Amino acid sequence: MAKLELKNIRKSFGSVDVLKGIDLMVEDGEFVAFVGPSGCGKSTLLRLICGLDEITSGQMAIDGELVNDVPPAKRGIAMVFQSYALYPHMTVAENMGYALRLAGTPKQEIAERVNKAAKKLRIDTYLERKPRQLSGGQRQRVAIGRAIVREPRIFLFDEPLSNLDAALRVEMRIEIARMKETLGTTMIYVTHDQIEAMTLADKIVVLNAGRVEQVGSPLDLYNKPVNRFVAGFIGSPKMNFLKLGARKGEGAFAVPGGEVRLPRNLSSAPAEIGIRPEHVELVNRGAADSLAGTVTITEHLGSDTYAYVALDGSEEMFVVRLSGDRAVKRNEPIGVHVDPAMLHVFSADGQSIASARPVALEAA
Amino acid sequence: MFDLSSRTAKVVFFGTMCLIGFYMFFPLYWMITSSLKDNAELYRVVPTLYPHEITLKNYWTAISESKLLTYLTNSLITSGSSALLNTILALYAGFSFAKYRYFGRQPVMLFMLSAQMFPFGLLLISLYPLMTEVGLLDTRLGLILSYIVFALPVATYMLYSYFSQVPDELIDAARADGASDFRIFHTIVIPISIPPIVTVFLYSFMWSWNDLLYSMTVIVSDEKRTIGPGLLLTYLNELNADWGGAMAASLLVSAPIVAAFMFLQRYFIQGVTAGAVK
Repeated sequence: MAKLELKNIRKSFGSVDVLKGIDLMVEDGEFVAFVGPSGCGKSTLLRLICGLDEITSGQMAIDGELVNDVPPAKRGIAMVFQSYALYPHMTVAENMGYALRLAGTPKQEIAERVNKAAKKLRIDTYLERKPRQLSGGQRQRVAIGRAIVREPRIFLFDEPLSNLDAALRVEMRIEIARMKETLGTTMIYVTHDQIEAMTLADKIVVLNAGRVEQVGSPLDLYNKPVNRFVAGFIGSPKMNFLKLGARKGEGAFAVPGGEVRLPRNLSSAPAEIGIRPEHVELVNRGAADSLAGTVTITEHLGSDTYAYVALDGSEEMFVVRLSGDRAVKRNEPIGVHVDPAMLHVFSADGQSIASARPVALEAA
Repeated sequence: MFDLSSRTAKVVFFGTMCLIGFYMFFPLYWMITSSLKDNAELYRVVPTLYPHEITLKNYWTAISESKLLTYLTNSLITSGSSALLNTILALYAGFSFAKYRYFGRQPVMLFMLSAQMFPFGLLLISLYPLMTEVGLLDTRLGLILSYIVFALPVATYMLYSYFSQVPDELIDAARADGASDFRIFHTIVIPISIPPIVTVFLYSFMWSWNDLLYSMTVIVSDEKRTIGPGLLLTYLNELNADWGGAMAASLLVSAPIVAAFMFLQRYFIQGVTAGAVK
């Protein structure tokens, strides 16, 4: 287990600044997920932590020791790659024991550690097979096993489940969650899959264009995003955004389909509101606190139904999440009820000036 | 549209294949039949399509009376050494070009490949005085080095293309496991690159095995002569032309390379088609 500290980490490739000053503290035994859109620098940051690339400037410390110039193997870090990166000419056992062999560990000890890790991951019957003889899930287990065998201080995962099919992904996610509980090692996990980040992580780091947008617990990010980017990035389907129009009296503003009342005492002038699809309801057209629109598309997922509503005067789709058994007709004129307490309000520069207050939190 | 499954299409297809086959294999057939004919039959005004009286005399003479074995040994030494050296050099150069980023990488590669644009005969004019100067004329080393000059650029490019497809993550994984670059190359990259390595070796070997111009010019003494000039000067010189003997000797010396090909063809095909499909 180890504590990782990043201070003003920058990385440039030629004239391109990929990371523009990352400050982050990862506590002992913490599971941290890096999320962000493609090209935001999350994988680059992971490679810097591993030591595969050199930091352009800044300081990185593991347990207080500066590791900027320490080679990967000496950092006590193991990394699981997106494409598994198993050595195709070696057996599973040889793959798992490669790092130990390089470190000069006695053969007997290598065998013991490999067997122990293989049993834990239920791959002990495949130890003599080559990677090409394994399924995707088994290969991923071997890749994780290769990391476990090293007994590292920090585990790094670079989108480890993205090559697996949906069912296997869920299975491996549970496997990683179990691993997190049993090993208790510090883990850093890069993913573009929000469900993985939300379900596995103690702390999520949202990155965008080489900067940290927000760091917090999964629910913190969901309930209290600090800006429009985080609000739009966390949550699936993503948050609906409506630009505020003319002021309509005390605290009320025109928006497509009607008007909304905003919370009072906002720290700066509101410019846009955000509403999560699960925080609105479909009501009759013209009902109180509702926006008028027409259902254009419906998606039935079984457990949920998504209704895509075109609000009057707007061409953008407003997504409403409904229970799976709710019947909605296409082209049906409806109202979208918006609870002012569930609104996120953003200033013109995209900063959050009011977050939704979930009912349960308000009651507490 | 032309229906590929029609009877006409099949006849056209089969006919074309036969023609191509005939074009490719007739010289080989002629070589085999000529080697089995005696001189009288060989020099008939109307050539016979097959030997009316089969004789193995030409083979016996080639083995017992000529220096075939010496030429064969010389060829194996020069071709084997140049192919081996060429493959080793191409391995390091190809990997460096594929996986490291440094100043001048692209120009150096282009410069190397540009050597291929000159006709081989033309380069001999500049290589010959150079070899005389450094004392490499009439030495096996001289011949080996000149073969490397020609085969190395293509060999490097072939391995460069393959190494470019080796996933970076594999190398990163080994680096994270604590392997040095040297060890990564020798314990991870080379073992997974056997098919292209065999391909490059065979390419280089064939290049020097088939050469006539350089081996004839660089090597002067008979005891160092390789198979191409050896056969030519033994059987087809100014005074006589023993076609039967030449054919028998050619078939005999082709045997090792055909055997090597048959043994290594699996790797060769894999190497040539590497990366074509996932």
